Amino acid sequence: MSASPSPPAIRVDAEVRANQEEGAENRRLRLGVPGWPGSAPGQFAMLSPGSRGAAERYDPLLPRPMAVYRTVPEAGGAELEILYKLSGRGTRLLADARPGATVRVVGPLGVGFPLPQLGQRALLVGGGTGIASLYELAAAAQARGPVVVLLGARSAADLMGRADFVALGVDLRVATEDGSEGTPGRVTELLETALAAPDAGGEIVYACGPTPMMRRAAEIAARRECRCLVSLENRMACGFGVCLGCAVPRTEGGFALVCRDGPVLDAGSVRWEEAS
Amino acid sequence: MTVAVDTEVNLGGITLRNPVLTASGTFGYGSEFAPFFALDRIGGIVAKSLTLEPRSGNLPPRIAETPAGMLNAIGLENVGVDAFLAEKLPLLPEGLPVLASVFETDIDRYAEVCKRLSGAPKLAGLEINASCPHVKSGGIEFGQRVELLARLVRETRRASSLPLFIKLSPNVTDIREMARACEAEGADGISLINTLQALDVDLATRRPALRNGLGGLSGPAIRPVALRMVWQASQAVKIPVCGIGGIMTGEDAVKFLVCGATAVQVGTANYLNPMAAVEVADGIERYAAAHGFARVSELVGTLRPYASSR
Ligand SMILES: Cc1cc2nc3c(=O)[nH]c(=O)nc-3n(C[C@H](O)[C@H](O)[C@H](O)COP(=O)(O)O)c2cc1C
Ligand code: FES
Repeated sequence: MSASPSPPAIRVDAEVRANQEEGAENRRLRLGVPGWPGSAPGQFAMLSPGSRGAAERYDPLLPRPMAVYRTVPEAGGAELEILYKLSGRGTRLLADARPGATVRVVGPLGVGFPLPQLGQRALLVGGGTGIASLYELAAAAQARGPVVVLLGARSAADLMGRADFVALGVDLRVATEDGSEGTPGRVTELLETALAAPDAGGEIVYACGPTPMMRRAAEIAARRECRCLVSLENRMACGFGVCLGCAVPRTEGGFALVCRDGPVLDAGSVRWEEAS
Repeated sequence: MTVAVDTEVNLGGITLRNPVLTASGTFGYGSEFAPFFALDRIGGIVAKSLTLEPRSGNLPPRIAETPAGMLNAIGLENVGVDAFLAEKLPLLPEGLPVLASVFETDIDRYAEVCKRLSGAPKLAGLEINASCPHVKSGGIEFGQRVELLARLVRETRRASSLPLFIKLSPNVTDIREMARACEAEGADGISLINTLQALDVDLATRRPALRNGLGGLSGPAIRPVALRMVWQASQAVKIPVCGIGGIMTGEDAVKFLVCGATAVQVGTANYLNPMAAVEVADGIERYAAAHGFARVSELVGTLRPYASSR
C-alpha cells in the first residue's frame, strides 16, 4: 500500500495553546491551526522560528521543519501537537512562545509513510526527535496488524512521547545509552533482536532518527529481507520543493528532494555515504 | 485606503499588473505556489534558471542559515530547456507574464537556450543569469568581466527578439560599468542583484558550511548592498532596472522603487512565507495610497537629496 494523497498545503497563523517541558531538552507544543486540512502519518509542517511578534523578525530567517506528532480535528481546523528538542536558536525562540502567541505554519507537507499490509507486523524504530514522526504511524498501523515500537534516547529524561505510546497499547521496547531506562545500548540493537526472534519474518520496518541510526536500521532490515522506510530530517529552507536545498543523493543517480519526494523514502533508494 | 492606486508598470516593453515579480530559483517553475495564492495577483514570475540539458546539482549540504540570511550552492540543478517548454510552462495560467531565466557555461550554449525559448507562445521575456562561472575563463563569472558580459549580451540579443533582461552579479568593483555594457549591447533592462559570494564555517567539523565551499548569500542581510547597487546602476543607464535583494515587505520594495527600480523581484522571502510576493504587492499599493501617489510608477527614482547647507 502506498501513502495516501495529501491535501494541498496551507499557510496560516496558528495560536499557541501550550508549550510545555517534556523531559530534559524536549518540549511539547500544542497549536490551534485554523483550516488545517488533515495530514497523513509521516507528513510535516514548517514552523516559524519563534512566535511572530508585533515587529517581524528575520533573524533567524528560515522556518524549521517539524514532524506532525499528533492531530486532533476540531471545528474549523485541528489542534496540532509538535514534539521538539532545544537544538539551536530557532527552537530556543520557539520554546519562548507563550500561550496566545502566534506561530506561522505551512503544511501539511511531504509524502508520509505507506501503511503495512493487512496483517503485516510493523516495527517502528525511533531515535531522539525522530520519535515525533512515528506516533500517528503507530496508531494507523495498529488498525492493520501488530505493531512493535522501539524507542531510543541518550537517557530516560531525553525520551519523548513514551506515555502516549504506552496509552496506544503497542508493544513498546525502550533502549537508553546510559541504561537509565529499558535495555542499555542503542535502539538498533533492539531491532536486531526483534528481527532475530524465531517467529520473525516478513515485517515492515520504519525508522526515523539520526542518520547513522537510520543507516544502521536499513542494513539490519536489508539483511533480514524486510522492506525498510526511513524518514529523513534534512536542512530545509522552503519545505515545498522550490529551493532545492534539501536534496539527498539517490542510489539510482540524481537526487530526491526530502521535502517533496520524502521525508519518507525507501531506505534502499538513499546513497547513505553522501547523504550529508 | 481612499484613492484607487494604479499599480501597472511597464518593464522594458512588458506590461505588469503590479511591479512584483518572483526571483529566479526561489519560485520553482511557478505552479508550486498555486495552492497558496492565485498567481495572477502578482506582476509576473521569473522561473528557475535553465540550461541546455537537464542538470542535477551539488552534493549536500547545499544551504545554510546565516544572520538574517542564507547561503546556497545548489549547482545549476534544473529540468533543462526542453522539459521546461513541454512540461512546466503549460501549467502556468494564461495572461501571467513569465520570464525564462537562462544560464550556461559558455556563450554559444547561452545563445542556443535563448533560441529554443524564443518560439514559446507564453513567454514574456528572457533573463540572462550572468552570475555563472565561465568554463573557458577558468571559472570567472560572466558578469565579472565587462568584455565577457558585453559579448554575452550581444550573442543572446542576436539569438532572440524577446524582451531581454540581464541579471547582474554583485561580485564586481563597479556595477555602473556592467550596466552600461548591457545597455550598449541592446538589453531591454537589467535585474540586480544576484547573490553575494560568501562563506560560512561549520565549527563542529571546521569544514565549509556548504559542500561546495563558497555559496551565494541572500535575504535581508544583503538588502542595503542591493539598494546601493540598484541606485548606482539606475543612475548610469536609461533602460529599466529590476531591483532584487532581501525584499520581505512592501516597504522594502518601495525603497527599491525610490532608488530607481521600475519593478522588483522577491526571492528568499518566498521560502519562509509562500504568500510573500502577494503581500509585497499589496504593501506597495498601501504605501502609494497613504503617501498620495495615484500611480505606483510615480515612485520610481524619487530618492530625495538632503538640502545643501552652508
Ligand atoms: C536557493 C537559491 C537558488 C537560486 N537560484 C537562482 C537561479 O537559478 N538563477 C538566478 O538567476 N538566481 C538564483 N538565485 C538568486 C535569486 O534569484 C536572487 O537574485 C537572490 O536570492 C537575492 O534576492 P533575495 O535576497 O530576495 O533572495 C537563487 C537564490 C537562492 C536563495
Ligand atoms: S526544502 Fe526547499 S526544496 Fe526541499
